[in-house]
Amino acid sequence: MIRIKNLTKRYDTVPALNQLTMNIGKGVIFGLLGPNGAGKTTLISILNGLTAFQEGEIEIFGLPLHKNLRQIRARSTFIPQSLALYENLSVIENLRFFAGIQSITGSTLQKNLDRAISINHLGRILEQKAATLSGGQKRRLNIAIGLLNNPEILYFDEPTIGIDPESRNEILETIAGFKKENKTVIYTSHYMDEIEKICDEAAIINHGKIIRQGQLQTMLHETDDPSMTLESLFIHLTHSHREDFNA
Amino acid sequence: MLKAMLKKEFSLILRDKHALAALFIMPSIFILIMSMALKDTFNTDRAFIRYALIDQDKTSISSKIASSLKNSKTLVLHDEIITDQEQLQQALNSGLHFALTIPKGYSAKLTQNDSDRILHLDVASDVKQDMLTLFKGELTRITMQLRIQEMLRELEPLLPGITEKSEAAMQSMKNRIEVHFTGLEPDQHPTSTQQSVPSWIVFGMFFIIIPMSTIFINEREQNTLKRMQAMNISIPVLFIGKVVPYMLINQIQVCLMIGVGIFIVPLLGADALTLGNSLAGLFMVSTGLSLAAIGTSIIIAVSVNTVEQATTIGGISNILFGAIGGVMVPKFFMPQNMQTLSNISPMSWGLEGFLDIFLRGSDARAVLPESLALAGFGIVLLLAAWAIFGHRTRNGL
Repeated sequence: MIRIKNLTKRYDTVPALNQLTMNIGKGVIFGLLGPNGAGKTTLISILNGLTAFQEGEIEIFGLPLHKNLRQIRARSTFIPQSLALYENLSVIENLRFFAGIQSITGSTLQKNLDRAISINHLGRILEQKAATLSGGQKRRLNIAIGLLNNPEILYFDEPTIGIDPESRNEILETIAGFKKENKTVIYTSHYMDEIEKICDEAAIINHGKIIRQGQLQTMLHETDDPSMTLESLFIHLTHSHREDFNA
Repeated sequence: MLKAMLKKEFSLILRDKHALAALFIMPSIFILIMSMALKDTFNTDRAFIRYALIDQDKTSISSKIASSLKNSKTLVLHDEIITDQEQLQQALNSGLHFALTIPKGYSAKLTQNDSDRILHLDVASDVKQDMLTLFKGELTRITMQLRIQEMLRELEPLLPGITEKSEAAMQSMKNRIEVHFTGLEPDQHPTSTQQSVPSWIVFGMFFIIIPMSTIFINEREQNTLKRMQAMNISIPVLFIGKVVPYMLINQIQVCLMIGVGIFIVPLLGADALTLGNSLAGLFMVSTGLSLAAIGTSIIIAVSVNTVEQATTIGGISNILFGAIGGVMVPKFFMPQNMQTLSNISPMSWGLEGFLDIFLRGSDARAVLPESLALAGFGIVLLLAAWAIFGHRTRNGL
C-alpha cells in the first residue's frame, strides 16, 4: 500500500528524515512513534505531498507519489494535529465546505456526510458553531472532515492531543473500527498506550531514522523481559540511540 | 469547489463583527466626517479668516480700511477689543489668525509714497502660507485702492470728473473673470464632496488588508490551508477563493460609500456626490484598485508569521500608501519632489482615476492607464505571493 525507500528530507543542512525505508500494507493500523522533532509530522506531510524531499522514492497504491499526487490524495486523507476547521462555521457548514472543495456532490455527498456524522457521533450538534464545541467534539469534527472522501488511507497526526479520557477512548474506538473496513491508518502519538491498544505494526523514529520497526507484538516479545511495555521499549531504544547519535 | 470557497469566505466575514466594522462602517463614517469637515472649501461666501484691528491712527483713511476689511466676505472681525500685548498673544493662541495694527501717522505716510512697511501684522503661528497670502492680498488691494482714490482727489481740480469715472471703471471691473473648471459645466464648481469622497473610497478599499490577512494567517496556523492542499486544492485555486469574494466586498464598499456621498451627506448640509459620466470607467478603476488591495493583503499574509505582524504591517502600509498617495494630504499641497514620490503609491493611481471620473468628467478610455497599472500591480503581488507561499509550504516553513 505504502512503500518508502531511502527517503531523505533536510531543512537546510539539518536532516529531518535520513535514508528512511518502510513498507505499510493494506488494512494495517501503523503507529509512528518518536520523541518531539523525530520527523513524524514531516513524514506525514511528505506522504500527503505537502512537503518536498531531497532523496528517495515513495509509492502509494503502487503509484509513484510525485507523478500521481492528485489521484493519491483523492484516495487518502490527512487529519492534522491542530483543529483544521472553521470555528465560526457550524458543524454541518464545516462538513459541507470541506466536501464542497473536494467536489463531492449528490448522493455520494449525502452518503459520506451521514457516515462521517454517524461514526463521530456528531448528529446532535450539527447546527452548533464549532467555537462552542467541547475539545473532544472539535477533535471528532476534525476527524469527520477527514472521512468525507471515504479514504482508503488515513493519516492521523496526534488526534487525541488535549482531550479528556472519555473522548480519547471514543476516538480510539473509531480509529480501531477502520480496520474492519480494511482501511490503512498511519497514526502518530506520544501516548504509548494508544499505540499499544490500536496498532498492528509500529516504527520508532528518532533523529529522522527508524530505530525499530515491525509487528507490535513481535517487538514487545523481542526481549526476554515479560514486563516489557511499549513505553519501556521506546525509552530504552531512544535512549540508546541518543547515546549512539551523540557518540 | 469555488462556490464552496466563496460561501465559506462570505460566512466568515459576515459573522466577524470587527471585520464588518472595518470594511463597511469605518469607511462610511470617514466619508461623512470628511465631507462635513471640508464642506465649505468651495463656498465663496464663507468667512473663515479671523482678524482683529488695532487702530492707533484713528483717521478717515484708517476708518476706510476698517470698513473695507469688514465688507470682505472671507474675513471675520474679532469681537473683543485688544488693548495690550498679553491680550493679543492670548487671542492669537485661541483662534485669531491675524491682528492688524494701523500705527499712528499711517494716513500721512500713505499719501507721501513712503515705501517703509507702515502697517504691522501679527500672525498666529498655525496660519498657513496660503491664508497669509490671501489676507495680505486683500489688505494690499484695499490700501492701493485708498491710495489711488487719494491721488485722484488731488487730480480732480485738473481733470474734473476723474474720480467719478474711475470709481465707475473700478466697479465695472468687478466679477469680470470667468472661471471654468475642467470637465464641469461653465456655471458649475467642484464640491468638497466631489473632491474628498474619491480619496476615502480609495482608502476604504484598502481596509480589507487586515481582515483578509488575519483570516488567511489563522487558516495557515490551524493547518486548514494545509488540509485544503491535501484535498487537492492548488495554490492558484486557494487564491482565487480569496480574490473573488474580496473583489465583491470591495465593490459593495464602493457602492456603499458612493451611496453615503449621494444620499446621506446632503442630509447633513454638504453637497451631494454626483457620479460623473462613466460608470464603466468607475468600475474599471474600482476593479483595478481591488486587485491592488487584495494583492497587498495576500503578500502580507504569506510573508509574515503571526496575526499581530499582519495587523501592524497592514495598518502601517495602508497609512503610508495613503499619506504618500495624496489621500490624506492632497497632492497639490505637496512639494514637487513629494508629488513625484507619490506616483509610487497605488492609492495615488486609484485616486487619479477616481478624480478623472468624479471631478474631471472623463470617460473609460481616460482611466485605462490607471486601471491597468493597478490591476498589474495586484497581479504581480499575487504571483509573488504564490511563489512565497509555495516555497514556504514545500519547505515546511
